[in-house]
Amino acid sequence: MAIPDQRRTLEPWQDPEAAPYVRIERVTKKFGDVYAVDDVSLNIYQGEFFSLLGSSGCGKSTLLRLLGGFEQPTLGRIYIDGTDVTDIPPYARPVNMMFQSYALFPHMSVEQNVAFGLKQDRMPRAERAERVGELLALLKVEELRKRKPDQLSGGQRQRVALARSLARHPKLLLLDEPLGALDKRLRENTQFELVNLQERLGITFVTVTHDQEEAMTMSTRIAVMDVGRIMQVDTPTAIYEYPNSRFVARFIGSVNLFEGKVAALDGDQVLVQSRLGRSMRMRCLYPLALGTPVTVAVRPEKIRPCADYREDGVNQLKGVVEDIAYLGDVSIYRVRVGERADPSSRIVEMTLTNIQPRTEQALTWEQEVAMEWAPTSGVVLPE
Amino acid sequence: MTLPHPRRRLSRLVNIGVPYLWLGLFFLLPFAIVLRISIAEPALAQPPYTALWEWVGDGVLAVQLNFQNFMLVVQDELYLAAFLNSLLVALVCTVLCLLLGYPMAYAIATSSARWRVPLLLLIVLPFWTSFLIRVYAWMGILKQNGLLNNFLMWLGVINEPLAILHTQLAVYIGVVYSYLPFMILPLYANLTRLDFSLLEAAADLGCRPWRAFLKITLPLSLPGIIAGSMLVFIPVVGEFVIPDLLGGPQSLMVGKMLWTEFFSNKDWPLASALAVVLLALLVVPFVLMQRLGQRLDDAAEAHTR
Repeated sequence: MAIPDQRRTLEPWQDPEAAPYVRIERVTKKFGDVYAVDDVSLNIYQGEFFSLLGSSGCGKSTLLRLLGGFEQPTLGRIYIDGTDVTDIPPYARPVNMMFQSYALFPHMSVEQNVAFGLKQDRMPRAERAERVGELLALLKVEELRKRKPDQLSGGQRQRVALARSLARHPKLLLLDEPLGALDKRLRENTQFELVNLQERLGITFVTVTHDQEEAMTMSTRIAVMDVGRIMQVDTPTAIYEYPNSRFVARFIGSVNLFEGKVAALDGDQVLVQSRLGRSMRMRCLYPLALGTPVTVAVRPEKIRPCADYREDGVNQLKGVVEDIAYLGDVSIYRVRVGERADPSSRIVEMTLTNIQPRTEQALTWEQEVAMEWAPTSGVVLPE
Repeated sequence: MTLPHPRRRLSRLVNIGVPYLWLGLFFLLPFAIVLRISIAEPALAQPPYTALWEWVGDGVLAVQLNFQNFMLVVQDELYLAAFLNSLLVALVCTVLCLLLGYPMAYAIATSSARWRVPLLLLIVLPFWTSFLIRVYAWMGILKQNGLLNNFLMWLGVINEPLAILHTQLAVYIGVVYSYLPFMILPLYANLTRLDFSLLEAAADLGCRPWRAFLKITLPLSLPGIIAGSMLVFIPVVGEFVIPDLLGGPQSLMVGKMLWTEFFSNKDWPLASALAVVLLALLVVPFVLMQRLGQRLDDAAEAHTR
């Protein structure tokens, strides 16, 4: 195979010979008449930090609970490390889970909570004490060992819950919104710690989150879910830069979508005649037929002001600045293309880095601005 | 710290004062009267006991404190047997109510929201019929020619009727039936608040369901168990109606004893002494238990610091 070695270890999903650690095979879970998980197949490899991303009710938590054994699939099989675990109850699975509510035992101290799983495994007392000590040190909660959960702050509880779920040295750790209950600052710090921990321990992590930023920062791969189905599985970069559908493009970050039809084909590029009346030339890595309805997706930060606007220019638009959102590091300009009264007019978002202080910038409200982007700065999506 | 505002102080006084006033008026005062009667002597008078003090002339006030009633209660084996039997019946019935009530409370607490209210209603429903009538109904069920015996004979399980009514067994049946709701309701209230993700966490950590019950559910429902047990144990010790109607001559209980002394023998002082001893018997263990619980909490707190 022509796959470079480094890629094989860092991106096992690229290696056709690699055996997946977790194999979800055509799993469906129905609650009454509702499909919580709808015919999902997924391979997760050893050492991955895999995120299930979606809005609430998309089935991501159900999928995680299916892996943990807390739900039984209506259809399909689940394999972990080559073993069919579909019918194995949670207490017999080689998996541990960190619950969204943390589910710490309120009547036990931190130490007892962490030791609980080891006691179930009948680990000898001395060894158990040592393991608990290691974990409390790893998560920097040693001084809390005698406290009860209700005497801990949210961040401390999160650490104790993580220590408890790591205690049995699981090969696979499931995390349900692990950072959901933390405030923004604590969350950002913990994200990096979690990734470091995962790399150091070599455990496969599967996490559920609704926070795209969190998924982007931490994951090796992300599965974007909607109404029980997986819409796309890919690396954070690929999900962001090359979404495969309008849903994924809109779910991750913000995006400008231009509907149109394929007007010409030219090597790996296509010319799209947009409904705005402008031509757009985009790179497209899959075959398209002439006349196919498509959507051109361009991220706001890939659009820049243009100096040489031409009436027949490709990948160029002109409009009037309607709104400016100043975010400190960047500003988002909402530009109306077309007359405001015209129902076919639309807003195009352009994000510019604030190289100059806001007060020094020329571009302001009600000002006309021409914009452009490169053919590689976006993707062509099937309608 | 700010000084309490006078009006706030008044409202605090009222808040704390009202329950104390209530307790004083309807518990302490009656108890003081009972205590006072218990150290008198029975007399053919109205009320039927001697006065606590008497002017015997020449400015002499004779105060008579008669502790013979207590001596009798403590020394007479009959009373001792009644006390022990009452405690035994209460203990056995509390345990039986717990064993029956816990699964029921658990089932209701874990049932779907649609079923919870009807099931709870079924538990409370018997209260809508008079307690006395329900006990009488049990007489009809348990008697020689009653429902239960006829049913068992029809099934062919037994050839001749069982003597259940007027035995200790009938007392147990009656008490467990009557007091079961008092066990179920506090347990239900406790178990509905149980976070079931804790059981999932336990299972996740390799704990089998039965062990998870022992390690998680049971310790966390301890307050419910204690509340339910107290609600059953305390009134059953002094229970009178059930042993009187369903029990036989050998089901000697303090409640029945008390009633006999009071109404049949018209010995109010002895009946009062019995009541005082009964109260002491019930209060002392619970005060000790509470002290112990407090100490455990304190110890736990000190440990964490």
